[in-house]
Amino acid sequence: MTPPTLAPARPEIVTRGVPTPRPGWVERATSADHKSVGTLYLATALTFLVLAVTEFVLMRVQLIVPENTMISPEIFNRLLSAAGVTTAVLFAIPLALGSISYVVPLQIGARGVALPRLNLFSYWLYVVGAVAVYASFLYTVPEAGTYSLAPLSEMVFSPSHGVDAWVTGVALATAGFTLFAVNLVVTIGRMRAPGMAWRRLPLCSWAANAIGYLLLVIAPVMLAAMVMLMIDRQFDGVFFQAGEGGAPLLYEHLAMLFFSGGYAIVVVFAAGVISEILPTFSGKPIFSHRAAAASLVAIAVLVPLAWMQSMYEAPLAEGWTIMAMAFALALVVPIGTLLYIWLATLWRGALRLRAALWYALAAISTMSIGLAGELGYSVISVGWQLDNTTAAQADTLYVLVGGGVMGGFAALHYWFPKLCGRLLGESLGKIALVPMLVGIHLYSLPMFLAGLEGQPVDVFKYFEGTGVDGYNLIASIGAFVLAAGVLLQLANAAHSWGHGLSAAHDPWGGATLEWFALSPPPPHNFDAVPDVRSPEPLRDIRDAVRLRTESFQARAAREPVAATTAPHARPEPATEDSDDAENPSVA
Amino acid sequence: MAPRPSRLLVACASALLAGLIVAAPAQAIQLAPAEPHSPNAEDMNTAYWVMFVVTAVLIVLINAALIAAIVRFRDRRGRRPARVAAGRGALRPVLGGLSLLAIAIFAYGVVTTENVREVESSGPGGLDASQSAQVGVKGAPQAAVLEGEESATGEDPITGAEPTEKAPLEIDAIAQQWVWRFEYPGGQPGQRTFSYGELVVPVDTTVLMNIDSTDVMHSWWVPALGGQVQAAPGKITQTWFKADEEGRYPGRSTIFSGSAYPAMRAWVEVVGVPEYQSYVEQLRGDITEAQGIVAREVASQ
Repeated sequence: MTPPTLAPARPEIVTRGVPTPRPGWVERATSADHKSVGTLYLATALTFLVLAVTEFVLMRVQLIVPENTMISPEIFNRLLSAAGVTTAVLFAIPLALGSISYVVPLQIGARGVALPRLNLFSYWLYVVGAVAVYASFLYTVPEAGTYSLAPLSEMVFSPSHGVDAWVTGVALATAGFTLFAVNLVVTIGRMRAPGMAWRRLPLCSWAANAIGYLLLVIAPVMLAAMVMLMIDRQFDGVFFQAGEGGAPLLYEHLAMLFFSGGYAIVVVFAAGVISEILPTFSGKPIFSHRAAAASLVAIAVLVPLAWMQSMYEAPLAEGWTIMAMAFALALVVPIGTLLYIWLATLWRGALRLRAALWYALAAISTMSIGLAGELGYSVISVGWQLDNTTAAQADTLYVLVGGGVMGGFAALHYWFPKLCGRLLGESLGKIALVPMLVGIHLYSLPMFLAGLEGQPVDVFKYFEGTGVDGYNLIASIGAFVLAAGVLLQLANAAHSWGHGLSAAHDPWGGATLEWFALSPPPPHNFDAVPDVRSPEPLRDIRDAVRLRTESFQARAAREPVAATTAPHARPEPATEDSDDAENPSVA
Repeated sequence: MAPRPSRLLVACASALLAGLIVAAPAQAIQLAPAEPHSPNAEDMNTAYWVMFVVTAVLIVLINAALIAAIVRFRDRRGRRPARVAAGRGALRPVLGGLSLLAIAIFAYGVVTTENVREVESSGPGGLDASQSAQVGVKGAPQAAVLEGEESATGEDPITGAEPTEKAPLEIDAIAQQWVWRFEYPGGQPGQRTFSYGELVVPVDTTVLMNIDSTDVMHSWWVPALGGQVQAAPGKITQTWFKADEEGRYPGRSTIFSGSAYPAMRAWVEVVGVPEYQSYVEQLRGDITEAQGIVAREVASQ
């Protein structure tokens, strides 16, 4: 405990207190760097995409022929219950969150996030939740259906502990999403580069901001529903038990609010990505930055408000269904505006048809079918007829595959160079898009027709003579083709991660700040954070550099040719009769 | 004009076309839901067709514009992108048009929904439930979900309904894992006539369904006779239909209800009025007889 003295400075070698390098995987698992967390989120989400695709394919195998007994009803219902939570909670939302965690801080010119450890913690909560769900495969798999609707998910009707695993997993994941959202809104709110006013915030960051606030609303709601269901199941609660003062319908409300919010996240995220990719590859600025940002926010607000749009059959007072229809139809305005802006951005541009743009265009096309169809199901009397049939399911799948899968791959193609300094294989990416597009239509069109014939969702068999045999056969083929495309593209990504073509920091000529950083960026992202003066800061920088270069060139052109002396190359004063013919600019 | 970018489009289109050509003979494609046999189902069918056309037009417009943009504006040598963005108010017509579309669909949706909800009274060939032998009439349904509910239950058969209007037939449909129980009007409470799985109703008669569940969520849906109604435990929902033709109409639940969910089906057998009356008589006799046997068994033990 000697008091500090001002000893004369002298070099010394310190060996104590310096952290020894840790193994790579420990570094990866504990690093609170937003890029590391984002990569983890992305890798985990894509892993669950593989699982979701597998479960989906197995269910479609069962439905190839009527009254198939290949997969037993118990197994099918377990696949169904696992596939629902895997697709929505373990794949679609985390994929958006991973991309956001990686890209948004770079895009807003921040050197990190506001609460990095909270960000990392949110990832681990999500992973633990996912493990809880899938660990149940070792004992009993959840079997209470896609949404685990109460009272089916109550102890009386589902005594197996698989449902407990489902509840626990979703609770942990939604707790993680809540914490992620806290970090996200603080980061976007307080850590933007100097000059990046809201009107200059890139559109993907606008989408991320909307998603952040949306998650702050819907994720705690689902968490509460899960806690209530757990209390019901394990601690004699009566929240959702009819006849005991509980309300079974309450669970449906809470779950639908969350799942429609998840739908909104998929749509808004894909829309944000598309709004970044189209201007970059068409060589034009977005047609209206302000209207696009407003539309993204409006979608994020309106979709969850219309949660009762999927509950038209439920015992609700008439006014509620009308309200839900009003919110659902109000979506026409922001979605239509966005589509118009996208088309206007493409129009009269010079489209460089790289894989990222192809995926973005495919996402627009596929989502537009689903979103336009949603318009039909929003009308109450049509909803009464076709909700919960494979027709409505096909429509939802158009949006989820278009937004979640194709939009996700568009984002991956676009930002892959930033992730690892390599390009995601272009030609294989384009080839993989063909089976995806063919598969989604080959699946969804027959399923739409089967829904008109009255085939409900979630059934492990359909009966002969109900007129849906052929449709199911084609749909199964379509599902396999779609799955093949997705898996091919995932293999492409895995290969490109280590072996892709090297890319520079700005391979596409992007206009936003993430392309100002190196690929992959250093831990502090930027050596210098530039001032932002427009929604296209990197374009401004490029223009400034070009102008500076041109002025240098102009000056160099004005200067006489400098000669040097022969042996030592010393500058020699220009002679009077220098060759003016080669420098016409010299007056 | 088939250089690189179009190749992908062509590949997608031809593969899709090939798939559909293979698929087409497998099924005579029908673009509408089940043929309606009840006024409410007819209204819903009309709504479906209106929205189908609106949706199809939108899908075609959007995708045609997208493909046109890809074909016309792909990067060629010497093409310069026109760096233009929306000027002030450039989006105003778009916003206006979209708002009009949304409001129009909303107005149509409200009107068509009201049409579906409105309960029509029984036709000339139908049964008048107040005239048929009813010993006890059950009380008013707990949940007022349908608008037509007041007019339907307002007609008290004891005080006398309007002479021109026939009282509707009220059926209680109770869902359980995995079968429907239908209770017919008449009989003492607790001794009602019932059937499982199959509901028999007279033709051209307004049938009011009070739908309930004893365990988990189910839904009542006979596509030819109207839309889906959720059967939630502890909450009675109402729907109605008026079958215009004798026949057997299949129905099914559309809410996942556990391990035997696909078995949660129902059939509505629509018969003539005399057949209906004799069916219910027969059913009542059978049930009384069976209950008598059970009572004797219990007494003898």
